[in-house]
Amino acid sequence: MGVVAISANKQEEIERFLYLEASYLDRPDLDNWIDLYTDEGTYWMPAIPDQKDPDNHISLFYDDRVIMEVRRRNFVHSAAASKDYDVRASHIISNIQVTDMDEETGDCTVTSNFHCWLYYNDKQTPYAGRYTHELISDGLSYKIQSKRVDIINCDATLNTIIIYI
Amino acid sequence: MSYTQKEIIDLVRPTKVHRKVYTDPEVFDLEMERLWAKTWIYIGHESQVQDKGSYITLNYGKVPVVMVRDTDMEVHVLHNRCGHKGVKLVDKACGKIPAFRCCYHGWRYRLDGKLLGVPYMESYEDTAFNKEDPQYSMQKLRSDSVRGFVFATMNADAPDLRTWMGGAADVMENLCDRAPDGEVEAAGGVLRYEHECNWKMFIENLNDMMHPMVVHRSVVECARDYIKTLPPDSPRLDEAEILLPFGASYEVMNDSITGFKYGHHYDGGKTSIHADYTLDPEYAAAMKSAYGEARMNEILSFNTHNTLYYPSLTIKSAIQNIRVVRPIAYNKTIIETWSFRLKGAPDSMLKKTLLYSRLINSNGSMVGPDDLTAYFRAQQGLESEASDWIEMHRHFGKDEVLTDRVIGKGTSDLDVRTQYTAWREYMTVAA
Ligand code: FES
Ligand SMILES: [Fe+2]
Repeated sequence: MGVVAISANKQEEIERFLYLEASYLDRPDLDNWIDLYTDEGTYWMPAIPDQKDPDNHISLFYDDRVIMEVRRRNFVHSAAASKDYDVRASHIISNIQVTDMDEETGDCTVTSNFHCWLYYNDKQTPYAGRYTHELISDGLSYKIQSKRVDIINCDATLNTIIIYI
Repeated sequence: MSYTQKEIIDLVRPTKVHRKVYTDPEVFDLEMERLWAKTWIYIGHESQVQDKGSYITLNYGKVPVVMVRDTDMEVHVLHNRCGHKGVKLVDKACGKIPAFRCCYHGWRYRLDGKLLGVPYMESYEDTAFNKEDPQYSMQKLRSDSVRGFVFATMNADAPDLRTWMGGAADVMENLCDRAPDGEVEAAGGVLRYEHECNWKMFIENLNDMMHPMVVHRSVVECARDYIKTLPPDSPRLDEAEILLPFGASYEVMNDSITGFKYGHHYDGGKTSIHADYTLDPEYAAAMKSAYGEARMNEILSFNTHNTLYYPSLTIKSAIQNIRVVRPIAYNKTIIETWSFRLKGAPDSMLKKTLLYSRLINSNGSMVGPDDLTAYFRAQQGLESEASDWIEMHRHFGKDEVLTDRVIGKGTSDLDVRTQYTAWREYMTVAA
């Protein structure tokens, strides 16, 4: 996928939006995070590199609105034993590139590299990889139509991934 | 300390088991020697090695092995070890090769493990080294399969695979019969999930019907809460169909557990947490034309939840998902989740299997991590010497003992008692 030349303003607008999403996941604040997604929005974490689709191969996550809504509630549910532990994250996003842009609507596809350190149950775990966001523009800001999270160790033996990365 | 025969026997009583079976690294080592090496261990499915030279690698207990299809299309399970200095011959999870070739000094082996070539044989002249001596070939494990599911054992005296499975084989047959073409194939890859607990904690949970309504209450309540926000005429949700039965009552979970010799068991039969899945009309049509209505109904009404082939494999015939137990240490286990395609069924069936695996078994799910939290807390809690014993009394004395099986209530501890009866038998046979 090539990189599309866009104005510095547009680039900044998009970056600001990605940072906002990351900041909700840092806390984590899923109630505000979910509002960044369209009603058809999806969050996908493939289980192999270059995975073609989520329907014919297992994924670590493939959440539509239904699962996001359940997860948002479950994350703070007092009876979920795995959620008894504090979860804190720190995301760094870089190499943000627009790879596709619809000039008319402003909808675009954005790729970026991320490093995320996740603290959970006395352990600190690093995740690294690449995001691919499909963003829908409403003129003022964006909504996420899909987010793909390719962690570089997606096909390794992993422990619990307690929250969206 | 080293365990005497009597001390091993004493770790297991009819209704209790000593905490050391989970917390002592020495017991773990003995289990690998006496139990894992002596019984049938699940290796993989034949569909994972479809072509000549296709292989998968894994550890059998602590031993690296490779399952490979040879030039005659026969499937072998071989020690993944060079006959020269012991170097592992293949080190990818899966692949395809014309022959084995060692990365160190270049010894070559046929796909059935026989040593083919040694570079610069001249240097062995006038020595006792004989390339034809079988000790220099890759060593074969005894292996056998049921409907494509391949098992291996290091025990020449183990009973044959079908005898060992006993009546628990019915569920594996049922899983395959659910395919209109009568065959399944591994599809959609694998998830590998590290568990910081003893391997037995995972398998003892499979038919623990007293835990779902407690451990999984949160996800069930959250799903219900969300569904309440939807308009009443909203379409049926596959997610709800899968998640909500985890909140079923004690009474519903009480159908039955059936235990077998060698530690196997399944729960359900008449009904299970999978029983109320909507029947895909396209799938029903394919089944009906393959089997006729009566046989189709017979196949689909055999409704089990989890079936354990003690100690390494657990399958769900109703949703075509299996989990494989790979013990690493007394307090560390890897659980693999594999999904299966029913040959001749519409793609929607695999899609639902994968949804199930994601929602229930994935590292990122809202079900598996809550189970795991209970296991690793048990692993930690059992370090306490407050009591040496873990009880397993439920329905004790009320199980119905038949010649080839034991049947009890779904909420019975007979599954765990069945496992420990087998455990004690394996562990006390002289090594
Ligand atoms: S160790 Fe394999 S050829 Fe020498
Ligand atoms: Fe569970």
